[in-house]
Amino acid sequence: MLHADFRDAAGSFSLNVSLDLGAETGVLFGRSGSGKSLTLRVLAGLRTPVEGRITLGGRVLFSSSERIHIPPRDRKVGLLFQNLALFPHMTALENVAFALPQGKRERAKAGEWLARVKMAGFEDRLPEKLSGGQRQRIALARALAAEPDLLLLDEPFSALDGPLRRSLRRELRDIRREAGIPMVYVTHQIEDLCSLGDRVTVMKDGATRESFPVGRLWERGARGEAWNALGWGNLFRGGIVCREGGFRFEGDTVSLDLDGGGLFPGEGLVFVAPDRIRILYPDLPVDQDLGNNIFTAAVEEIVPLGSSVRLYLAADDGTVWQAEHSSGAYEALRLHPGSRVKFAVPPAAAEVWMGPGSGAPEFNQNRAENRPLRS
Amino acid sequence: MLPPLLLSLKVLFFTVPLLILLGGGAGWLLARREFPGKEACSLLAQLPLILPPSVMGFYLLFFIGKTPLLREMGILFSFPALVLGAAVSASPIMIQASRAAFASVDRELEDAARTLGKKESTVFFTVTLPLARRTLLVGLALSAARALGDFGVSLMIAGNIPGRTQTLPLYIYNQVETLNFARAHGAALLLVGAGLASLYAVRMLEEGRNGKHASC
Repeated sequence: MLHADFRDAAGSFSLNVSLDLGAETGVLFGRSGSGKSLTLRVLAGLRTPVEGRITLGGRVLFSSSERIHIPPRDRKVGLLFQNLALFPHMTALENVAFALPQGKRERAKAGEWLARVKMAGFEDRLPEKLSGGQRQRIALARALAAEPDLLLLDEPFSALDGPLRRSLRRELRDIRREAGIPMVYVTHQIEDLCSLGDRVTVMKDGATRESFPVGRLWERGARGEAWNALGWGNLFRGGIVCREGGFRFEGDTVSLDLDGGGLFPGEGLVFVAPDRIRILYPDLPVDQDLGNNIFTAAVEEIVPLGSSVRLYLAADDGTVWQAEHSSGAYEALRLHPGSRVKFAVPPAAAEVWMGPGSGAPEFNQNRAENRPLRS
Repeated sequence: MLPPLLLSLKVLFFTVPLLILLGGGAGWLLARREFPGKEACSLLAQLPLILPPSVMGFYLLFFIGKTPLLREMGILFSFPALVLGAAVSASPIMIQASRAAFASVDRELEDAARTLGKKESTVFFTVTLPLARRTLLVGLALSAARALGDFGVSLMIAGNIPGRTQTLPLYIYNQVETLNFARAHGAALLLVGAGLASLYAVRMLEEGRNGKHASC
């Protein structure tokens, strides 16, 4: 349905995107600054790329060779902005009605959309009088009320806490299925990727790289390769077990204490963002909360990234971890390739995605075989 | 005192639409568009604020008097010159306020309206303008007060012809010159009242902005 292939440049940043999507959810996955949001702006028509071609269900939205640029208003491409962009001077109902062709006169229809996102009763509230999750729902209702042929979402749930994210993700999945339109979801969070996506496209330094079905992450043979394709962060697959002190992740090489809330024993994935890893100063006492999540490693490679530094740390068990550290703190540690460091993974920093057999409500993959519970 | 008062109100009646359209438009251009020489234009627009009114009026007098077409239009020393003088001296306030007003509107909101299928004029009138409205009105209240009180520029290009181009501020000057203080006091009080009213309007608008959005 969606075919996009375009190149763009903004200052020294260049964008090179190639996307193909059916009536499914494509996840654009990559670290911040990799060009994900810019890609969405181009798809929505808010930005004209230098060259390329974008078609949606047979309609040409942009073609540099045919000199076609359909303006955003005629594209029927909805965009859910990262900060939602609700109109502050309009009530919830007016915000939704705005997206309808007749505007404020379509109160009844706007009301139906509000009911659909479980916001009936909040019609006359202004956005500032709504909670974060409620605002998300209004923004989603507004985007859907315009009946787009493609829905773009720019990390809309990034500001919400865990349980709320989970329930919104589930609703979004159902709504997309009902609407039957393709959806492009931008995120750098592995939970979003696993629970929402049918297909993932990895974005790095302004270019789309590998693209594969999310299910492949669960195929036993191909898993390492697919995970590596994500290219960022530390991802482990294994089991979640219940121990006396709480939940614990047991992987092939890595074991981690987890932050308990809402977990079930069973197969699971753990993702640790590099910037959440804490390098420990040799002379300072270690925080009790870090528990058993302390590792010793040798610095393998040091990659400066401007204000931060990325370290590749080869732990004694053979696992290579990515850690990102602010440049200042890094200088204070005087690290060089080969030096020994201790690092810790705070239990709250480990994002957990529960797999099959755990009874976790969020799971939507059936390709992976079930593993016996280990607890 | 009635003729100068009526004349002043008439000047205001013609100046306010000019301020809204030209001042507001210039402010929008400065806030939303990039073009070569933008900062130079912005500086130029602020000149009437810092130049002595007599200098501003002097240049206008020469510009209009020496430009062939403008000279024949009979602007100088007539009612149009009063409107021009008032508009010129009030424009920096209006331009500055509307630039700030439009710049304060989050562009993402406009983009959101576009992706929801709205055309540019709808985006402007339903999103941009309502959100910029309060600051625009503050600018309008202040610049209208400034227009009503213009003395120097009006004197230079419209003269001070009783019954034709004598507005309230010029009338006050004449009355003081002829030692007719009672009349000067009366006219001055009127202008003080107008000034206070505009400041009060500004205050109410600003309070409303900090308080609730519901009233817009």
